[in-house]
Amino acid sequence: MAKVSGNAVGIRKRERKLLVKGLLFTSPWIIGFLIFQLYPILASFYYSLTEYNLFKPPEWVGFGNYKDLFQDDKFYKSMYNTLYITIVGVVPHMAYALLMALLLNAKVKGQSIYRTIYFLPTLVPAVAGSLLWMWLLNSQYGLINMGLEAIGIMGPNWLVDPDWTKPSLILMGFWGTGTITVMYLAALQDVPKMFYEAAEIDGASKWRQFWTITFPSISPMTLFQLIMMLISSFQYFTEGMVFAEASQSVGGPENSLLFYSIYLYQQAFSFLNMGYASAMAWILFVVVMLFSLVIFKTSARWVYYGGDK
Amino acid sequence: MSMFGKKTMAITGSTILSLSLLAGCGSNDNEENASPGASSGSATNASSPASESSAPKEKVEISFWTTYSDQDAGPITALVDQFNQTNDHITVKMLGNQDPTKQLTAISGGAAPDILLTYWNNIGPWADAGAVLDLTDKISQSGFDIGSVVPAAMDRMKINDKYYAMPFTMSMANSLMYNKKDFADAGLTKPPETLEEMFDYAKKLTKKDDSGNITQIGFIPDYPWIDNVFWPVVFGGSWLDDSGKVTPNAEANVKSIEYQRSFYEEFGQNQIDKFKSGMGKRGTPQDPLLTGQLAMYIGWEYNFMPERGEDGPIGVAAFPYPADRPELKGSGMVSPRAVFIPQKAKHADEAWEFMQYLMTTDAQVKYSLEAHVIPTITAALSDERLMVEENKTMWEFYERAKSENLNGFPNSAYINEYLQALTEETEKALKGTISAQEAMDNVAKKIQPLADGK
Repeated sequence: MAKVSGNAVGIRKRERKLLVKGLLFTSPWIIGFLIFQLYPILASFYYSLTEYNLFKPPEWVGFGNYKDLFQDDKFYKSMYNTLYITIVGVVPHMAYALLMALLLNAKVKGQSIYRTIYFLPTLVPAVAGSLLWMWLLNSQYGLINMGLEAIGIMGPNWLVDPDWTKPSLILMGFWGTGTITVMYLAALQDVPKMFYEAAEIDGASKWRQFWTITFPSISPMTLFQLIMMLISSFQYFTEGMVFAEASQSVGGPENSLLFYSIYLYQQAFSFLNMGYASAMAWILFVVVMLFSLVIFKTSARWVYYGGDK
Repeated sequence: MSMFGKKTMAITGSTILSLSLLAGCGSNDNEENASPGASSGSATNASSPASESSAPKEKVEISFWTTYSDQDAGPITALVDQFNQTNDHITVKMLGNQDPTKQLTAISGGAAPDILLTYWNNIGPWADAGAVLDLTDKISQSGFDIGSVVPAAMDRMKINDKYYAMPFTMSMANSLMYNKKDFADAGLTKPPETLEEMFDYAKKLTKKDDSGNITQIGFIPDYPWIDNVFWPVVFGGSWLDDSGKVTPNAEANVKSIEYQRSFYEEFGQNQIDKFKSGMGKRGTPQDPLLTGQLAMYIGWEYNFMPERGEDGPIGVAAFPYPADRPELKGSGMVSPRAVFIPQKAKHADEAWEFMQYLMTTDAQVKYSLEAHVIPTITAALSDERLMVEENKTMWEFYERAKSENLNGFPNSAYINEYLQALTEETEKALKGTISAQEAMDNVAKKIQPLADGK
């Protein structure tokens, strides 16, 4: 007690030892991160400032790639397609998943069977699911257009008409919302029952209960899902690639399926413009970052955590 | 405390060890000649470059990558086996299922295979990037006769006037295939001779139901894909002139697109699109030509191998030519599969020897017989051994492969950009969004800077 300074040194020594040990134990991750993530990330930024074809040494072009990108029609087209699928697709998919979660949360006999059935499509690989949906969406013999015809609607040429290719993908997306539903279901079951009991005593309607109790209570989950879906939507690739294959061209009919990452892939591996593709990756990073930031900033207004107040 | 010290030491030690291992892996990637152990599957019996000249007796193993899947690999395996049995100083180890992306990764890294089979349009960009060995010296030293190869196939291997690969086989589109029953039902007794005649045939072969929906169509010019090489070739078009100017907007090229567009004007864009999406999958028993939904299409040698026989449901004829240019009779495009040696190959000499073997008449004949493909050595096209009954459906393709009007797209560093631009703009012109001339002018505008730059 008396030798305060000596004790402090001891603590510092022990802390340092602990730190070293801690670092050593986390070193597999740290080393992996440095070599397989940080280095490639930084390298891609360097390459984005060069012309690089994998074989010849990179040639410094400064911001030339970025300048070229902003004059590239296909860059805008692919960005438009990606924003379309993100903005038109994400919110309806989430709303639908929430609706299904609410239904699957109801106390009905055989509920676990319904839950299983509903989750099953999520297990189908993206390529297989896309191929299946291409049959459903076939404009002449597909089940969807047959169904529409039965109620007197002339179905569109889903996979061929450039105005309908992206809606086709979004339609297919509803099928694969099982994971979001399950996570929503978990969140729903976490809402304290006493809130509903109190609301019922006060005579609140189910609708009112949903908006004042359920929705705010699960808002952290909504935020999480929104961010995750946003990111994966900006990286949309597989389904677009498979659908486009039907028209035997990388971007699908009139490039309506040329998503940002597909164009990036084409620039990198078909045209060997690695520098250009790296610049595209960085722009994508910035865009995703901006979207995420905006969502985080506004989230204070609509996300409630149980620990607050 | 000392126990902890020891443990810390041990952990530090192993960390350093693993770090150095990682560092070792990293540096191998950058070295042109990585140690044999670092490369996968290749060079297990490799002799060092120094001992190669003095002791050639030791067998060298070279790695050969192909795009073939297991089910298609039979004929090439047989060929490789034969080589391995007869050659006393080289063993070829083959690896299939190597798609172009995997190939690109391998030839850009430190463990490049010695020889690869790929699609010909990869050769341009890869050669320009410095990944492919220029064969000029090897050809002149060994006395390999370029003239023995079908010119249209050999030309595809040329980038900036140098040969970078050999066309192992080629696919060819200069035939018209048609459904015999559709023809008979429409009262047509022989295939169309000219393109104009084909257009009339298509009208006669197209049927619509009461509500105007197509139930059978004579011909769809962009089925199964927008072909931006085949059509200009048929019209005698070109893509690049001697001065280095790109010529997608040459008169013949534009005409070829206008001709295709005329089918859409005749039968209706929506009707064709809708009908097309309901057609069965090509190459299956539901193939539209087989079911008769589609009466005629551009035939490749691999289409309807059994069905195009004498008594089969599918007829084959030379593809029609423009009536005003009879000299273009027999025109068509070739699309070869190319074998090349990477710049970083460790056994380029042995790979070249194997490549020459692949290009011998014997190997070509053997392979063509088993895989039913078109040989690229002119002499093989007339070889007696191919004229056996079981190979009968190929005969007329061998004959047509001798046509002097065969052509193909010029290979270059920017070939994939060029083809992509052609597809995009042709699509617009076929839909009538812009005129064929405008579309091809757009391509020229877009591609000329690439042609100047690369």
